[in-house]
Amino acid sequence: MKQTFLKNVFLLMFLVIPIGMFAQDTISGTVTDAANGDPLVGVSVVLKGSITGALTDFDGNFSIMASQDDTLVFSYIGYSTKEVLASDASNVQMNVDVTNLDEVVVTGLVSSIKRSNLANNISTVDSEALTGATTGSTLDGALYGKLTGVNINAAGGAPGGQTALRLRGISSLSGNNQPLFIVDGVYISNIQLTNGSAVASGANAGREEGGSNRVSDINPEDIESIEVLKGASAAAIYGTRANAGVVIITTKRGAAGKTSIKFEQDVGFNTIQNFAGRRQFTSATVASTFGAAEVPIFEAAQAAGRIFNYEEELYGEEGLIIDTRVSVSGGGEKTKFYFNASRRNEDGIMQRTGYKRNSLRVNLDHIISDELKIGLSSNYVNSRADRGPVGNENNGGFSVGYNLALVTADWENLFPDENGIYPDARFSAANVIFNRDLIDNSEEINRYIQGANIEYKAITNDDFSLKLTANGGLDYFQGKTFVYIPETQQIQRATTQGFISAGNNSSLQYNYNAFAVLNYLPSEKITLNGQFGISYLNFESDAVISQTTQLVPTQRNLQQGGEFNTFQRLTEEEEFGIIGQSTLNWDDKIIATAGIRFDKSNLNGDPNKFFAFPRASVAVNIANFDFWNVDDISLFKLRVAYGETGSSARFGSLFTPLGPTSVGGSQGLALPTVGQNNQSAQLGEANLEPETSQELEFGADFSFFNNKLGLELTGYIRDVKNLIYPFSSIPLSSGFANSIRNDFDLSNKGFEISLNANPISNSNVNWNTTLNFWRNEAEVERLGVGEFQPTGEGFSLTFGSSFIREGETATSLAANINGVTTIIGDAAPDYEMSWFNQITLFKNLDITFLWHLKQGGDVLNLTKLLSDFGGVTPDLDNPDVIANPRFGTFGAAGYIEDGSYIRLREVGAYYTLPFKFDFIEKARIGISGKNILTFTDYTGYDPETSAFGPSGLSQGIEVAPFPSAEQYYFHLQFTF
Amino acid sequence: MKNIRRLVIMTMTLFVLSCSLDGVVDPNQPSLEGVVGDPSLQNLNLLAQGLEARAVNSWGGFITATGSISREMYFFNASDPTTTETLIGKEGGMLTGSEPQLTGTMFGRYQAVKSADFILDAVERSEISDTQKSGFRGIALTFKGYLLLDVLELLGDNGVRVDIADPENLGPFLGRAEGFQAISDLLDQGFAELQSAEFTFQFSEGFEDFDTPTTFAQFNRAIAARVAVRQGDFASALSLLNDSFLELSGANLGTGPKRIYAQGGTELLNPIFKAPQQSGDQYIVHNRFISDIEAGDARINKFRLRNDPVARDGLNGTHEINVYESVTSPIDHIRNEELVLIYAEANIRQANFTEAVDALNIIRNANGLGDYAGAVTEDDLIDEMLYNRTYSLFGEGHAMFDLRRYDRLNDTFLPIDRPGDIIHTQFPIPPFEVQ
Repeated sequence: MKQTFLKNVFLLMFLVIPIGMFAQDTISGTVTDAANGDPLVGVSVVLKGSITGALTDFDGNFSIMASQDDTLVFSYIGYSTKEVLASDASNVQMNVDVTNLDEVVVTGLVSSIKRSNLANNISTVDSEALTGATTGSTLDGALYGKLTGVNINAAGGAPGGQTALRLRGISSLSGNNQPLFIVDGVYISNIQLTNGSAVASGANAGREEGGSNRVSDINPEDIESIEVLKGASAAAIYGTRANAGVVIITTKRGAAGKTSIKFEQDVGFNTIQNFAGRRQFTSATVASTFGAAEVPIFEAAQAAGRIFNYEEELYGEEGLIIDTRVSVSGGGEKTKFYFNASRRNEDGIMQRTGYKRNSLRVNLDHIISDELKIGLSSNYVNSRADRGPVGNENNGGFSVGYNLALVTADWENLFPDENGIYPDARFSAANVIFNRDLIDNSEEINRYIQGANIEYKAITNDDFSLKLTANGGLDYFQGKTFVYIPETQQIQRATTQGFISAGNNSSLQYNYNAFAVLNYLPSEKITLNGQFGISYLNFESDAVISQTTQLVPTQRNLQQGGEFNTFQRLTEEEEFGIIGQSTLNWDDKIIATAGIRFDKSNLNGDPNKFFAFPRASVAVNIANFDFWNVDDISLFKLRVAYGETGSSARFGSLFTPLGPTSVGGSQGLALPTVGQNNQSAQLGEANLEPETSQELEFGADFSFFNNKLGLELTGYIRDVKNLIYPFSSIPLSSGFANSIRNDFDLSNKGFEISLNANPISNSNVNWNTTLNFWRNEAEVERLGVGEFQPTGEGFSLTFGSSFIREGETATSLAANINGVTTIIGDAAPDYEMSWFNQITLFKNLDITFLWHLKQGGDVLNLTKLLSDFGGVTPDLDNPDVIANPRFGTFGAAGYIEDGSYIRLREVGAYYTLPFKFDFIEKARIGISGKNILTFTDYTGYDPETSAFGPSGLSQGIEVAPFPSAEQYYFHLQFTF
Repeated sequence: MKNIRRLVIMTMTLFVLSCSLDGVVDPNQPSLEGVVGDPSLQNLNLLAQGLEARAVNSWGGFITATGSISREMYFFNASDPTTTETLIGKEGGMLTGSEPQLTGTMFGRYQAVKSADFILDAVERSEISDTQKSGFRGIALTFKGYLLLDVLELLGDNGVRVDIADPENLGPFLGRAEGFQAISDLLDQGFAELQSAEFTFQFSEGFEDFDTPTTFAQFNRAIAARVAVRQGDFASALSLLNDSFLELSGANLGTGPKRIYAQGGTELLNPIFKAPQQSGDQYIVHNRFISDIEAGDARINKFRLRNDPVARDGLNGTHEINVYESVTSPIDHIRNEELVLIYAEANIRQANFTEAVDALNIIRNANGLGDYAGAVTEDDLIDEMLYNRTYSLFGEGHAMFDLRRYDRLNDTFLPIDRPGDIIHTQFPIPPFEVQ
């Protein structure tokens, strides 16, 4: 929603009433950038107090019917709105507005407000900031560093993404830490599919299998803007889905006028960011680590020059990336369209890994009558990720990273002989080269997202209007997962003689809402806005995993085996809400809003009990008061906002399940064992109520020197009460793995600073810069029963785990050190900073770069623990390490490392060719890179890591992940 | 007025769209309330069959823990490298109670105990016949006592929790002596129920010859004899053996109920079997078993020479274990061989040396050794009995407790292979058990 409100109004009116003007002159003129004199294309020019308007053409020219003494209002994205007398409008210069004060921000299901009147700090990322510097495969990954209050953790570097997005700290322990994603009004699914490989690998749960999260299906290039409601005070109107914040995505739409065709081509490659390194062995260290009998084998390999570097063999590929996009947009009086077809194909840094995405989008807007208009957004996505055998494991011989660390010796020959026979690994559970070459692990998604909205202007009077809107949509996908381990694999020969796990997931989500929106203007200076409506959503999913073992040799069909197993997991979620909200605006001086939402959900113990989520906020624009006479400060706003949101329990929390058993064919029922069908032996709680988040946000916004410098200061206190969580410290002797409780409170406190500036602006150089700073601290305030390990957020306390203890941060890491559970680290960063720059040189060269600093945040480097046990960590010959062996001296605390880093996240340089062809309006070439420089003391693969997937806490524990990649691109862009 | 009327109509329309939500019944699996709350014969049979399945669970960690501590074997685990650290007391490290081998075993045992409790609870409200009720109570109480023994033995002097009926209000940890008493009481109650019982459920083939109330009662008494010996009540052990399936002959030493392993579905695979010569993940036999064995003892076949001797983490070995043939080989719950050894031990401790020597000879002869030729004194016979237990029950979770009962679970009796290692004698109670 980066388009200005005025522009929207204008476009609509221009198209509806194009004729019928009389007794007026034709006023024409040119609109240019005040800084460099460039013509501005598409500026909206509206006759003040009327519905007449025009757009500037490619050369910045406009013409409009008006009297000489009328006032014209010029508005344009990224520029301050300007009012000019028609007689003076022959040459209008507009100033860049770095603070985007006139930008209209979506703040609710049907509400939007001018940024200068906002009472919350709502971050907006437009398409230029999102993908203007460089491209990436996933949308959530493209956000990091561009917003305050956002922490992003990549759970692994496998192609197709696996990203945990956290807004203002910890919101939940039961899986709803990911914000709600809404694309053009459609609630979309962001689940991580499980593929069943845990059955073969022995990983503890589906979350450790390393699947991607489904927001990655959204093509970042389709996005016009993203608005992020970070906390409860901004997101209250979204009720029980909004505890972790809301990400509102608006896709590109067509504009009336000349049809624009855009062709873009990116070519690039993936390469590993950082190798963990390999120990350089000598005969002596081989003897001390692997025994004297190994020395002759090592020496023979050394003499033959056959010492490999298996880390480079695995992760040393340069994976080609090809991304092609074609978009067509345009339209006429009544109908506008936007079409985009794109195809991305990237190879990973390991052979046989990669990601493909084909995406089609059609967005249509149609005006049926003066009162009625509709908008449709259709998106089809087909994506496929080959993620390789990765993830945690227990004796499964599956994960290449795990078996590389524990333990592949570089003098082993693991490559196939002339008959294609792979030798067995001599120390690890599997030959990593065999696994790389012959194990399959893929996901394929077919997804359709359809959004629709209807707007009906029921009443339009001078001082009163009533609008009815309804919007809704559906998100359907079918996800297939496939894991294949040949019967010839080392572990499979000993156990199940081959393994196929084929998953078939279907997910259907639909939602709709309907609102009445009233506007009442009792006097010239007061606007009263009210909304009243309902919201309904329904999510269903069905995940079936079929597995076959005892495979017929070389066969990859589920039927071709001797033993069969099936898992199925169904979910049904239904919610209904009633919403009311009212805003009072006194002459843009004081803007006060109050609202409430009542929600009920079948995830709660009583599905028909409503829970209330109120909000209230006030913004005072001190600079708009008459007494204000500081010309250099055009905005001085104080704001405070309070709101509540909720989060219902994860599906299934109400139940105490039994699971099927079988012993020698005798069937029975008993408590589920760990991880059976991803269902633990849970003692359910039938009377659950939603956990709630209460946030108080306050801040001040400034705009200095003609909007050339903007400053936003925000502080917040967010208390999350009655968190629902599986309490895992329930005694083992209860027979239950956890009990569902909701007696845990935590508080997030933080502040955010954002400084925007346009320090240089002349005909040769234009420089926009944004400096962001943010910090959050989540503290455990109350625990009903006692401290515990959050379920699925760590291994045994011997190795270290996330840990919840009253009075500590909610992001603590702990280990059992000499029998005492000891806090050994905090995964949350102390603070983060980013510095985003867009520089235009000589009008044709655009340079963009984004630096990101994360200070603090501990990482438990269990990759190193594994390689220490394996004896292959590069620094094991360092005298300090010999004197103080990490595990022997410190236990798991020996693997806590500082995860601070400074990273050049994005850098891009684009050159617009200065000449024009007949049919090409604009041609650009560019180069860019993503994550190409990182400065850190962390010794693992990437300090941005998590072994437990994107849900839950998803923090700071590295276990032999798929290493992160950096990317380099060459870009070509043509506009016709 | 027209506007207001339109407004009212629209407001009402919005309310009409409001709806009532239905509660959800778990679409994925039966619920506890649904099954235990409906104690039909069919549901009770399913719970009983589930109990047998849960009694098979979590065997690998138990063997790894007891085998490593008693230096039967070193487990070079491809995924959890701490098996050669914590369990062996590397650099003097003490056990913490968080070891997955302990927590996994305890959790498995208590899940099975919970199954037994579900049955005992449901039977109370069931309308089945009294003999059927006794059948369910008989197996529930028997398994409960049997499985709690493993917990008590692992925790040693730290005791055992027996009452877990209410998850919100668990019973106390009983001391060692009290714990043994509670376990033998459970077994006695189970035995009493089995006297006039009827079985309506289907055991797996592992209980093929023990699937009637009469024969299952023999299993109950065999377990009770094991408990009596562990607690040092040798007179009781002898009388309990009378009602067990003890057979003083070398012909049927393998007789006894078994844990069944199978491929597919929710079946489990034999957790101790590792492919011959497999790297990475392997149970390596402690070298003393190779050097100390009597010449001609057929039990040498429980150990297989490796092509590659293993030397990792400062520990080494030349043989891997060869106790089971495949991933689907069954593992005994208890077999006649152990009963003969219990008979021998109880008789030694009751000073019936002739009976003891005869029993030991049954075991010796069956394994290709001649009759016992050593001195017939209590100490010598204890040595001979322990030698036979060591080799006959190798890798089956006995050695740690046998050595401890005879004060041999220490570094005067067992070797220290890596400087700084210590020998643990029992596990602490895991964190969070007592709150």
